[in-house]
Amino acid sequence: MELLLQALFNGILLGGYYAVMVLGFSIIWGVMGVINLAHGEFLMIGAYGAWVLFRVFGIDPFLSLAIIMPVMFGVGYVLQRVLINRVVERPHLISLLVTFGLSIALANLFNVIFTADPRTVPVSYNGSFNILGMTVPIVKTMILGLALLIMFALHVFLQRTRLGRSIRAAAQNKNAARIVGVEVGRVYAITFGIAIALTAAAGAMISPVAPIFPFMGPPFTLKAFTITALGGLGRIPGALLGGMVLGLVETLLATFVPGVGTNVGIAASFVLLVLVLILRPQGLLQGLRPMEVE
Amino acid sequence: MSDPMQINGDALLRVEKVYAGYQDFDILKGVSLHVNPGEIVCVIGPNGAGKSTVFKTIYGLLKVRKGRIQFDHQEITNWRPQAILKSGIAIVPQLRSVFPQMTVMENLEMGLYLERDKQRIKERIEYVFDLFPRLAERKDQMAGTMSGGEQRMLEIGRALLLEPKMVLMDEPSAGLAPLITRMIFQNIRRLNEEIGLTVLMIEQNARQGLEFSHRGYVLELGQNTYEGPSQELLANPEVRRAFLGGR
Repeated sequence: MELLLQALFNGILLGGYYAVMVLGFSIIWGVMGVINLAHGEFLMIGAYGAWVLFRVFGIDPFLSLAIIMPVMFGVGYVLQRVLINRVVERPHLISLLVTFGLSIALANLFNVIFTADPRTVPVSYNGSFNILGMTVPIVKTMILGLALLIMFALHVFLQRTRLGRSIRAAAQNKNAARIVGVEVGRVYAITFGIAIALTAAAGAMISPVAPIFPFMGPPFTLKAFTITALGGLGRIPGALLGGMVLGLVETLLATFVPGVGTNVGIAASFVLLVLVLILRPQGLLQGLRPMEVE
Repeated sequence: MSDPMQINGDALLRVEKVYAGYQDFDILKGVSLHVNPGEIVCVIGPNGAGKSTVFKTIYGLLKVRKGRIQFDHQEITNWRPQAILKSGIAIVPQLRSVFPQMTVMENLEMGLYLERDKQRIKERIEYVFDLFPRLAERKDQMAGTMSGGEQRMLEIGRALLLEPKMVLMDEPSAGLAPLITRMIFQNIRRLNEEIGLTVLMIEQNARQGLEFSHRGYVLELGQNTYEGPSQELLANPEVRRAFLGGR
């Protein structure tokens, strides 16, 4: 019983992280129909950003978000303007190729700069405490809190602000958005910037508890697929639900199925992905826009 | 009878011998038409005659290769769509143009996306609600859950928010059941009578399009072949035989 509670708790912690990790991927797909295969690499860049800021300037990885997010927003904005906007109207395969190429280039660039040695960000408070017999890891709990905060802020931004509404408009009906005067290209660039900033933030957040290396990205991209399939495109509640489902499944499997260890994540993720695609291809919740068959 | 060559000086929109198309291929080969203030003008013609091309050319999506377009005493030939919208032409495209997962209210607010004056936004939306009480009843409903006819009304209502001098409609009847189409046309006619709305519509449904308009143009192979008061076109044996299913 205690084991189960602990597993559920760990699953929720992991799920919260997955939810914030997937937001950027889900938004880019939902708003502009681009599947960003370099998703994990932007997360990796965020993690390295936190490592550099910690090593060189002694900045706490959670505080470093204040630097990493604006910088990565700029990176995303420019990238969309110069690269992605050129392929956004083209068939899916083109944008898949472009982002796949980007992922390889980024991972190898970081391999050259930082070598393949795994790095860590050893924060002083990386411990745990006990409540009612349950182990509560401090950093992971902070991540969950921050993840929920970010999701709430994003939700308010999308629902309540003029810019947020123009992003939703462009996602739901690009041509109609143009008719009413939304500059869709600019909205896409802002969306990409926000998505990349969120993804890099997820990388920075996880830096105290996960090894940082140039090829850490692809598993996150793969899991992002599963979570998006579970939760639907571009929906924040969907990301939370999808993240929680994946986090719980992974943790419960690792806890109760003997011999699978903790590396069961990717396998579990794919089994889930296939199950969702067979049973409920539209996702568990309705998406930001309906899934289109193209 | 109006002489097409001697164009009415008071015309709101005037399309003069326009050639336009895709890449190097002209779909429109010298189309001329005009719309007077307060008129409903309907362009009919068979598939492939270039009806939608007329719409896209006026709206600035296709380049005019020869000829010119004037609107409201201004030359608007080859203006960008944004500039054309600002000059006072509102458009209702053939494809669905509502935001399905926004409420009716949000859709209308999006229609005034470029307007910053909150008071004016409120007034304009009230104005549209007065014209379409049905939309007011449904203001909190997601647009995507409404019927096709209601969505079309929302699109027309949204176009009117900007106080356009003319509304350009591409196939208002597209994808709608006959009864609903009739309701939409009745509404267009009602708006024309109530607020003097000027409308240029491109319509596949020739009979109903003419029934509810003042004047019509028949477009064939990229040229206008017949024109005149809609009632006359409806009665013209050749037009009837070719476009109105005989009888």
